[in-house]
Amino acid sequence: MKTPSSTRRTFIGGLLGSASFWLYSNHEVWADALAAGQAGPYTPRYFNEAEWRFLNAACERIFPTDGHGPGARSLGAPEFIDRQMDTPYGHGALWYMSGPFQNAPANLGYQLSLPPREIYRQGIAAADAYVRDHHDGRGFADLDAADQTTVLKALEQGDIALGSVPGHTFFEQLRQNTLEGVFSDPLHGGNKGLAGWTLLGFPGARADFMDWVNQDGAPYPFGPVSISGETA
Amino acid sequence: MSTMKTDAIIIGAGWAGSILAKELTEAGLSVTILERGDDRATATEGDYPSSIDELRGAIRHRLFQNLSQTTVTIRNTVDQTAVPYRRLAAFLPGEGVGGAGLHWSGVHFRVAPDDLALRTNIIARYGKSFIPEGMNLQDYDVTYEELEPFFDKAEKVFGTSGEPHTIRGKVAGKGNPFAPDRSDAFPLPPMKDVYSATLFKTAAANVGYHPYSLPAANASAQYTNPYGVQMGPCNFCGYCSGYDCYMYSKASPNVNILPALRQDPKFTLVTKAHVLKVNLDSDGRKATGVTYLDLRTRQQVELRADLVIISAFQFHNVHLMLLSGIGQPYDPVRNTGTVGRNFVYQTITTSRAWLPARHYTNQFVGAGGAGVAIDDFNSLNFDHGPLGFVGGAPVWVNQAGVKPIAAAIGGPGGKAPTWGEGYKDALVDTYRHSLAIDAHGSNMAYRDVYLDLDPTYSDAYGQPLLRMTFTWKDNDIRMNQYVVSRIEPIMKAMGATRYALGTLKAGEPFDTRRYQTTHLGGGAVMGADPKTSAVNRYLQSWDVPNVFVIGASAFPQGMGYNPTGMVAALAYWSAYHIRTTYLKNPGPMVQA
Amino acid sequence: MKIRAFPFAAALGAAALLLLASAPHARADDTGDLVARGRYVAEASDCSACHTVKGGRPFAGGLAFRLPFGSIYAPNISPDPIHGIGAYSEAAFSRAVREGVRRDGASLYPAMPFPSYARMSDSDIHALFTYFMKGVQPVASATPAISWPLSMRWPMSLWRAAFAPSVQSAQKDVARPFPDSAIARGAYLVEGPGHCGACHSPRGIALQEKTLSASSSTLFLSGGAPVDGFVPTSLRQDQRTGLASWSEDDIVTFLATGRNRKGEAFGGMTDAISHGTQHLSDADLHAIARYLRFLGPNDPKATAWQYDPAAATSLRQGNATARGAKVYVDHCAACHRTDGAGYAPAFPPLAGNPVVMSDKPDSLVHVVQSGAALPGMARAPSAFVMPAYGQRLSAEQIADVVTFIRGAWGNNASPVDATSVASLQHSAPPPVLSEKPVPLN
Repeated sequence: MKTPSSTRRTFIGGLLGSASFWLYSNHEVWADALAAGQAGPYTPRYFNEAEWRFLNAACERIFPTDGHGPGARSLGAPEFIDRQMDTPYGHGALWYMSGPFQNAPANLGYQLSLPPREIYRQGIAAADAYVRDHHDGRGFADLDAADQTTVLKALEQGDIALGSVPGHTFFEQLRQNTLEGVFSDPLHGGNKGLAGWTLLGFPGARADFMDWVNQDGAPYPFGPVSISGETA
Repeated sequence: MSTMKTDAIIIGAGWAGSILAKELTEAGLSVTILERGDDRATATEGDYPSSIDELRGAIRHRLFQNLSQTTVTIRNTVDQTAVPYRRLAAFLPGEGVGGAGLHWSGVHFRVAPDDLALRTNIIARYGKSFIPEGMNLQDYDVTYEELEPFFDKAEKVFGTSGEPHTIRGKVAGKGNPFAPDRSDAFPLPPMKDVYSATLFKTAAANVGYHPYSLPAANASAQYTNPYGVQMGPCNFCGYCSGYDCYMYSKASPNVNILPALRQDPKFTLVTKAHVLKVNLDSDGRKATGVTYLDLRTRQQVELRADLVIISAFQFHNVHLMLLSGIGQPYDPVRNTGTVGRNFVYQTITTSRAWLPARHYTNQFVGAGGAGVAIDDFNSLNFDHGPLGFVGGAPVWVNQAGVKPIAAAIGGPGGKAPTWGEGYKDALVDTYRHSLAIDAHGSNMAYRDVYLDLDPTYSDAYGQPLLRMTFTWKDNDIRMNQYVVSRIEPIMKAMGATRYALGTLKAGEPFDTRRYQTTHLGGGAVMGADPKTSAVNRYLQSWDVPNVFVIGASAFPQGMGYNPTGMVAALAYWSAYHIRTTYLKNPGPMVQA
Repeated sequence: MKIRAFPFAAALGAAALLLLASAPHARADDTGDLVARGRYVAEASDCSACHTVKGGRPFAGGLAFRLPFGSIYAPNISPDPIHGIGAYSEAAFSRAVREGVRRDGASLYPAMPFPSYARMSDSDIHALFTYFMKGVQPVASATPAISWPLSMRWPMSLWRAAFAPSVQSAQKDVARPFPDSAIARGAYLVEGPGHCGACHSPRGIALQEKTLSASSSTLFLSGGAPVDGFVPTSLRQDQRTGLASWSEDDIVTFLATGRNRKGEAFGGMTDAISHGTQHLSDADLHAIARYLRFLGPNDPKATAWQYDPAAATSLRQGNATARGAKVYVDHCAACHRTDGAGYAPAFPPLAGNPVVMSDKPDSLVHVVQSGAALPGMARAPSAFVMPAYGQRLSAEQIADVVTFIRGAWGNNASPVDATSVASLQHSAPPPVLSEKPVPLN
């Protein structure tokens, strides 16, 4: 038998060294996914307790539980966002973050100095403070659903000034990340039970439609499968 | 600083660089590609099913340029202050081996021959006064007949699937009747039409248009190309644009050229090598090599060579020329210089049709290069006289595999909510029962739309960022609106229960927050006149003749077609003339 | 363990020598030609896989073969007079290669396939010797010592006396009549330097090959014991489990590129092709193919495989209720198709594939759980990789999908249960890409 000339570990190490900022090998994907699956109730790593309550409530309003199925909260979108905060994305390492930071027309894009984790930290604090000021000291998570929706709409339309983070910027960050959490592979912490994909009829990581290129508008018959092999 | 020597340096390992490297090693030269990104292999990064991950791929941009190191600044008009393009959105340059050729979708057109001499043709048909004030309409100084052998070669290397119209003057299939004559068939039969595309094909024909299946560099069957490399067939998984194709069926430098090139001992690939500048001799007329930063060691390296090929992404080509002092920078005020001149893009808007609920469009089924198009409103295929604009757009259903995050963030369309109550209902309906139709059009060049160096912002290596001054002009907006108006009858003919037409709006500035295309062009354009072009018809620098600048940077106008087919043909064309003419007698191949 | 070690070593050991015999019209009296021919043979061969460690000096030895009682090491065979074979005469060299006897009289371990090499011609041995002496740089580094009890060589002497043929008897068998010269040439290459039987023929109780040539038994090349967990298939004209459905060109293409329209190499065969057969001349590859097709079946009762569309029709209609069908659709069909036809040569067919229908499911189970990588070859530069599913699928799921594959599309091999899969996990090869094949694409 041949002696392996390099171990898996050195291979993966080499791969990480040579590949872009965020490259998984199969094995690490597995380690991460399986560890997450075994973890039980999720404990946030980045968000503090108040932020976590805000985040859970806001995600659920953006993608609510209804007759179509579970909402963002039970789909794990808050967990997804929390885990994203410690990725290069969360730290702003994918963005050009050198100054000077100047005001510019909206169509020229994001011009703040804040990475996603700071948008959340400052945005949640300011939004919760605003809500307390206007709702007898209650925080966002303690409002009823209709009031929460009203607040989010006001943020979306830029009607609430949040200090360092424009309300619209904060809302759009929240909306996009929530939907990412609902619809990404469960590997990343959201889309629990593949319920996001099931809602849309998206088949997931099967990625083979040779028999289904054109069946005259018939619905595709198979439920989704995830990268780790989970099915629904 | 260490110094080494090679015959030819190629900057960038995308399509253009890989083609030039293959051609020049075949010619017997020692060739070094300097690529600033990582090496990339489908087997390790693009493998099944780990790469079938929308979040890492299209959303977090696994294969794209990391803007934290270098980006561009953008302003719409010369009186604005440009600000950095901080997050990837409107356009998505690649990084790493394969470049944009690894993450592209695979639509593989040739060129509309009329577009190669658009200025001459417009003047001949409508007179010089038809050209709007400030529009720098120019010819390429190369004809379709000259390029045809190289389109043919590229298709055979790419394993392109398609249906011909005519071959050597004889009708040979049901391909695009506006397509130019071919010397040979496509190497593979056309891709199958997905259901949405079939509906479009029937409806468009009923309206009187001329639909055809798109030529795709997605292999419709297993294929072995002239370099001996093998491709699997496309199974319509939909992971083309933004991904590395685990089926090895989307053509890429990684799959179609590099496996053969890597076996050649004359070939060297250096990754994590960020070229800082092309070095010139004391009188600035000859390149002596390049200086690059080894991103692993942070050491500068000088590499000497007789021939330097600049074949990075379009605007990186222009950036490097400006940083190196190759050619005269363009000045829009005095209208002098050529480097940065005629910076162009593409117009694209999407319209959507919703079908009765019994019709499932299964939009996740797709292939990036496949679909059905009409060319009735592209190039000079229709009468512009009464319309009063220059340019046009193919219109198509190019169902490239709609993934859930993109669909969800983009929203259900129309007036439907983008979150909260009512959102899921509308999203499900749109995802399951709608189809998209794009108008993917030209963009003309203008005197005050250009590239130069930014006075304020710099990259991670201390060099000034490139500055884009760009916005939509009335001519292009009117072109888009006209072509989109021609989509409406198709919508009706296909039995849409409702539809939404997407157009550019009058006066609308370029919006950097919304993805449009990555089909940027110009800035180092080819042409017959050194006063209005940076490179000659062989893509050789007028000013430094041992430098060739290959890529969409050579396009004088933004065309309606996707650019990769033209880039590949120009790369083979340039390589052919380097091999047959330049290497025998190095020097200018066209006298200025 | 021994069962795995020896054939594998043999497979890796000397595919190179194939080329010696194939170089056209070399002039034996011209040393330069001989060295060039020898170098070409050595580059084309897998001598280096055992006698050169990755990143080490050529032929300096050192590769370990792990056995239950310790390790043996491929020796330094560079022409260094102290640590290598520099002090060998041609006669001593010939004796080592063809008879397994070292210059000092000790016996070689049969990891060195001298029972097959005994068939090699004098002129091939002469070219090889000339190359090693004049075309290889001497390396003055010692091979790691083999510790007791493996340092005792006398058991190997007994083994040799019992099972290794004499050069004389081997050469006599080589000279037996064949229908034509190409088949004779193929027989020489396969039975001799190619030593295909080291893996593809059954072995006896003492690990000896039960037969060393097609002249004595239809057991020759009728399939061997697992090598690194993979089961070498029959190379005879056996229906379903052998090469009955492969044309001459299929065999040639496979040996030249590691892939053809019927299948793709995996396991040790990848090395045998990569280091060995891909460098053979077309004439020699055709000779091998003609010889293999000349070998009748070992099991003449097996019926020919015929495609059955039932499984594919069900899947296309969205019915995946058969055992293992849903796992297949979820994980395998993307590359191997719902009709099992695959997309050869990129992705091999499973329908009608001899590896799939083998009595032993080991190879199929191992490829599913560990994946496989086919590196680029000179004549087929593309590399293809099958991912490892061992951490993605449970033993039950693997058993289900393997059962589906072995029974669908006209395949008729027996079902596999989860217990068998679980027990095979112990002999699973390392997951694919834990060592990076080069080049990739």
